[in-house]
Amino acid sequence: MRTTVLRSVQIAMTALIVLGLVCHVQAGETYKLALSLAITGPTSDAGNPYAKGVEDYFKYVNEEKILGDDTIDCTIRDDQYKTDVTKRNFEEFLDMDIVFYLNYSTGSTLALKKDFEEEQMPTIPASFHAGNLVDSNYIFLPIASYSAQAIGLAEYVVKNHQGDTPKVAMFIHPSAFGRGPVEDVEKAIAAGLKMEIVEVVEHGKDLDNTAMLKRLMSKGVQYVICHTVQSPVATVLKDSSRLGLTAKSFGEKEKLTFLGAHYTGGNDLIALAGPASENFFWTTSYTLTSEPGPGTDFQLALAKRFGRDDKAANSHNYTNGIMVAQVATEAIRRAKARGAKVTKESLYEELLMMNGDKAFKLDTTVGPVTYSKTDKMGVDTLQLYSVTSGVFRAVDKPFSPEFVGKI
Amino acid sequence: MTYFLQLVVSGVVVGSIYALSALGFVLIYKSSRVLNIAHGQIIASGAFITYALKVFLGVPIVLSFLLSLVITFFLAMSVERIFLRRLIGEPIISVIMVTIGLMSIIDGLIYLTPFGTENFSFPRFLPQTPLSLGGVSISWTQLVGVLITAALIGGFSYFFKKSTLGISMRAVSDDQLASMSIGISVPKVFGLAWAAAGLSAAAAGGIIGNITGLNFDTLHAFGITVFPVVILGGLDSILGAVVAGIIMGLIQQFASGYLDGNFGLNGTADVLPYVILLIILLFKPHGLFGIHEIERV
Repeated sequence: MRTTVLRSVQIAMTALIVLGLVCHVQAGETYKLALSLAITGPTSDAGNPYAKGVEDYFKYVNEEKILGDDTIDCTIRDDQYKTDVTKRNFEEFLDMDIVFYLNYSTGSTLALKKDFEEEQMPTIPASFHAGNLVDSNYIFLPIASYSAQAIGLAEYVVKNHQGDTPKVAMFIHPSAFGRGPVEDVEKAIAAGLKMEIVEVVEHGKDLDNTAMLKRLMSKGVQYVICHTVQSPVATVLKDSSRLGLTAKSFGEKEKLTFLGAHYTGGNDLIALAGPASENFFWTTSYTLTSEPGPGTDFQLALAKRFGRDDKAANSHNYTNGIMVAQVATEAIRRAKARGAKVTKESLYEELLMMNGDKAFKLDTTVGPVTYSKTDKMGVDTLQLYSVTSGVFRAVDKPFSPEFVGKI
Repeated sequence: MTYFLQLVVSGVVVGSIYALSALGFVLIYKSSRVLNIAHGQIIASGAFITYALKVFLGVPIVLSFLLSLVITFFLAMSVERIFLRRLIGEPIISVIMVTIGLMSIIDGLIYLTPFGTENFSFPRFLPQTPLSLGGVSISWTQLVGVLITAALIGGFSYFFKKSTLGISMRAVSDDQLASMSIGISVPKVFGLAWAAAGLSAAAAGGIIGNITGLNFDTLHAFGITVFPVVILGGLDSILGAVVAGIIMGLIQQFASGYLDGNFGLNGTADVLPYVILLIILLFKPHGLFGIHEIERV
């Protein structure tokens, strides 16, 4: 009797193990990816919706079986915008055998650049700093660099300014992130862009920008190109509005027209600056929910599906997160399609092949993602938006800054 | 001349807000000789409480602001009661380390709420058209900020000079043992100092939040931004905080207005206050109005 029971248990256990193995084979591969970013701490107002975008899109991929039976397991960790924590996270991710890495800040991307090279890890950061690409093979910017954005804004100023050479001030974040594009705009001017940079202002934690604004006016400045985060821009816009210095239309004489790169704008700027944000011109490569289309419909549906609130659903940084997850997923899908094993090496190759007729066209950006050995800037196209009646509206068609190729 | 006057007005506005932000440091130091490193977090908490009362609970803005002062008053008092009361008599560095821990705890708690990672803005409740006189303008937000600052600083000055409790607090600051010997409750005074600092921080948070918008990083950074003001004025002087605040505000505006962008200079508005601070401290190491204690051996 006892022998019979033991045998039955033995058979049952063997069956369970076999069943488990079969299920495992049927469940397909799991590809490990990782993201380290500021979910709390400085810039977490951008990092938080970004993380949600990445998380939601990979959940969607797994649930909708976009990769068949294969799944993506993306570990997301908070680094509080601290480079040492990012480095520790990255080292732990390596122990997990990740095949693709998503990074965040300019500082940590520059600091870990050598690690990405040594590990040969394809990496997409949330920082669009052009310097990330210097002496680097494995970093891929998702969209046009900050430099390209600033040059794009400068070109728009030059094309639409009436009168003599336009006088411009640059209002920047006091960091590598902020300073990066200044030199490239100066190079564009040296290459023939007819514009004068009168002053470069590195802001502090200013409660009142009266002195700065009056000074710029006294020097004949008519345009202010901002490259920082939303909060200081909001304070400047409010002060300018209070002093009656803000242009009512683009390039209004003896007034200031404000323009800004990706991280200066979005719905948060409108929330912070209120009516003072009217006529603020902003550029990014992402589509916005205030200009509905297939990409934004998908974004809103995704946010609804995973229970995100309206604020996250309409954030351009949520779009940003979705987009980098789309690129990583597409690289995996293409590697699988050509029968390659999904590894960091094969995904790197896939990214390099993402050009020409293999460019990745997606609806969350205003242009296709193109990468090659010599082009690590994903979406080259920019869209200009301006605040009209409290929302960002598209201005003209998407464009590619001409002087980016000349500097 | 109009330009100069505009810079003066802007400098006084900014300086007043610095003074109010610095007041919390002074109140705690004045009674307990402790530097509260978590002051910036309390400033941010005050702003968020006002916003939550107004937007989430629909309380009128003025009442929200007043309630936030009351709530922060009791919150700060509770913090002192729970975390710091046990450290009376322990080395000051231990107490400061506790305030550093407190900073991390408040950070963590705020990050659990949307206020930690999102931007908010107070609903507009003041006229948007600025007040202008002879080409010099000031926004209603700034004007109300200056008036609230003046009222609070005046109130605290009166309290310390005329009320029994205020005089008790000064006595504790001067000599804890002697104060106890005449029946003053030192723990009660410490609790009250923290509560008053909480109240002033909440007021500062409300005003700053109304100017910059509600961003946690921006708000809690003011705890550090006003540190030169506290040192320059003298750690234990309310008058010092006011004078130093306004000096710093004016220096920043004049530096920005006359130096930055000229003579190849940039960023002097951020650096010059520290340079002036160092120079003044060379001659007055206890700050402009700080008490120079003499120990006779």
